Amino acid sequence: MTIEKNLNGTELTVTIAGRLDTTTAPELEAAFKESLAGVTKLVLDFASLEYLSSAGLRVILQAQKTMNKQGEMIIKNVNETINEIFEVTGFIDILTIE
Amino acid sequence: MPMKPKKQTSISYNFLKWLLFLMLVAFIATTVFLWVFQTRLANNNADNLLRLNITDVKADIKDATNDHMLELVRSISAELDDIDADTASKEEMSARIAEMLTRYDVTEIDIINSKGIIVACNIESFVGFDMASGEQSKEFLVLLEGEKEMVQEFQAQSYDSSIERKYAGASLTNGGLVQIGYDYAHLQASVDHEVVSLTRNRHVGNNGRVLIVDQDKNIVSNVKGVDRKKLDLEAFGIKPGSVQTGQRVTANVEGIEFYCMAEMAEGYYIISAIPVKEVTITRNMVVIMAVAVEMLIFIALTLLVYLLIKKQIVVSVNRINHSLSEITNGNLDVTMDVRNNLEFDSLSNDINATVDTLKRYIKDAEERIDAELAFAKAIQHSALPSVFPPYPNRKEFEIFATMHTAKEVGGDFYDFYFVDEDNFAFLIADVSGKGIPAAMFMMQSKTIIKSCAESGMSVEQVFTVANEKLCEGNDAGMFVTAWMGILNVKTGKVLFANAGHNPPLVKHADGTYEYLKSRAGFVLAGMEGVRYRKNELELAPGDAIYLYTDGVTEATDLNTELYGEDRLHIVLEKYKDATPQVICDEVKKDVDAFVGEAPQFDDITMLALKYCGKEDAQ
Repeated sequence: MTIEKNLNGTELTVTIAGRLDTTTAPELEAAFKESLAGVTKLVLDFASLEYLSSAGLRVILQAQKTMNKQGEMIIKNVNETINEIFEVTGFIDILTIE
Repeated sequence: MPMKPKKQTSISYNFLKWLLFLMLVAFIATTVFLWVFQTRLANNNADNLLRLNITDVKADIKDATNDHMLELVRSISAELDDIDADTASKEEMSARIAEMLTRYDVTEIDIINSKGIIVACNIESFVGFDMASGEQSKEFLVLLEGEKEMVQEFQAQSYDSSIERKYAGASLTNGGLVQIGYDYAHLQASVDHEVVSLTRNRHVGNNGRVLIVDQDKNIVSNVKGVDRKKLDLEAFGIKPGSVQTGQRVTANVEGIEFYCMAEMAEGYYIISAIPVKEVTITRNMVVIMAVAVEMLIFIALTLLVYLLIKKQIVVSVNRINHSLSEITNGNLDVTMDVRNNLEFDSLSNDINATVDTLKRYIKDAEERIDAELAFAKAIQHSALPSVFPPYPNRKEFEIFATMHTAKEVGGDFYDFYFVDEDNFAFLIADVSGKGIPAAMFMMQSKTIIKSCAESGMSVEQVFTVANEKLCEGNDAGMFVTAWMGILNVKTGKVLFANAGHNPPLVKHADGTYEYLKSRAGFVLAGMEGVRYRKNELELAPGDAIYLYTDGVTEATDLNTELYGEDRLHIVLEKYKDATPQVICDEVKKDVDAFVGEAPQFDDITMLALKYCGKEDAQ
């Protein structure tokens, strides 16, 4: 999995490519911990995300909870499989998906 | 303050560096020693050579002069055999002396009586002198005691030490003795021709020579190019009158350096000389050859020792390192077998023993953990209702459920219990993750949900309240998906709620299974303030509902293909009339067959419930 970060003022865009599972989720968790301070808008680009497991959902949920306190979080370029996961788990109601 | 690390160099390099240095020191030391020793040796040889030549020439000169004088004195004595020294008149003796003096061309003739007193001499002042009164003259007294003749070295005489003479004496027939003396001039004249030839063919070494020089500094020896010249004695380090016998002196003559030695004999200076170059050349050649051989030996030695060390130590160390890196890469079964010497044998044994000890510790630790996990697994499994049929006297429904954990303990669970006489709750849940953390959260979730349900809440309230409770103290951010239904066994109506869980399959009257879609609520323990909604489902007698976790549909084979919802649907349809137990068994069998050799990736949990209708209708 690769993580690309792009900071534009207080808007941070994070592009994730590959698999987000038990082994790679800690990496994303560390990246968020490092970079979310002072960010008011977090944009997650899932265009190249191939797979998402419950470990990945955990990290996304944590990010959402953090951004609920300091601004907003948006997820874009979600493919059908990922979208279905969000639907089934009810995450679709708490995430902002474009 | 951390020190900047020194750049590290290999054993071979360090060793070679020091070895070369030491060899160099040894080489220089031996060369210096050799030089000094050889120089001494060469000089000693030169000394011996010089001395030997001088000794020989000296002896030759002495022989020549002695022979000559003895001859003379013999003749003179023979001529005087009619004289009786004790009684003859002085005039007669003096006359005879004077006459012989010129004829024999000697410097002095003395006639000494039997008492050792000079009774006649061509030198008036000597008459009356007692021969016994001087060391030099005393020697002649042996002629009064039976000796026939004798001859002395050229030396200072007893009467007047400023006069130097060579004396010979012979006894007289009628008693007494006659003595003749040569002064230097006469001596020279008598042996000159002999002295000249003494050194003609004499060599000192290759290019050295012996010179014979008279008291007037004339070179009398026969050496080409220097005949009859005067010699600068000072250049030869010789102070006239005092000659250091046996001492080597370095003289510079016309730009060439010579080693010289000088002695005096019979009034002549005898000087042997050898060019210093000749002496040093020999020494230099010896030293150079020795140094060359030395160098070869030292280089060979250095190389040998270096290679030896490399073989004994470096090669072995590298082999040990190689094996060690195999161990660090995970292969704990590698053994050290480097045994080319005592130390490495011991090292190999020690390393092997260390690895064995570590392996033992690891095994012990693993066994401890395995034991704990087995225990935990037992606890977890016993926490889930596992007795089937659970309510043998209740005929309204049949139920069966299984949980297979991917590791020893897992995060899936099912649960079922009567919340009151007519209402039967049944649920399935899946904690995010696997293993111990999921297991702990699973136990907590199960307990909270059950306590909420048994308190009489409706199903959506159960989830709403349980969610709040599970959010407390959930710093780890775990969450759990769940699907819970409460069946009224009299009516067949199921009130259910879904917290982010994959929808169950329901079999209706026509026998087909269908996924029970509903608007999914958010997962439990994800976020506070989430509200869940209630949904309804009607079950007719013979209908069934099948709950499962995604470990079923996401089971993966060796080609990383997923089992999928379609295959599940097919199996359920195949066994649509079977009992819940058979349904669960067959699904598990089908999943196992599909997965084959691949390891189980996620917990596989399922619950099948078949509604039979209210008791009295059956």
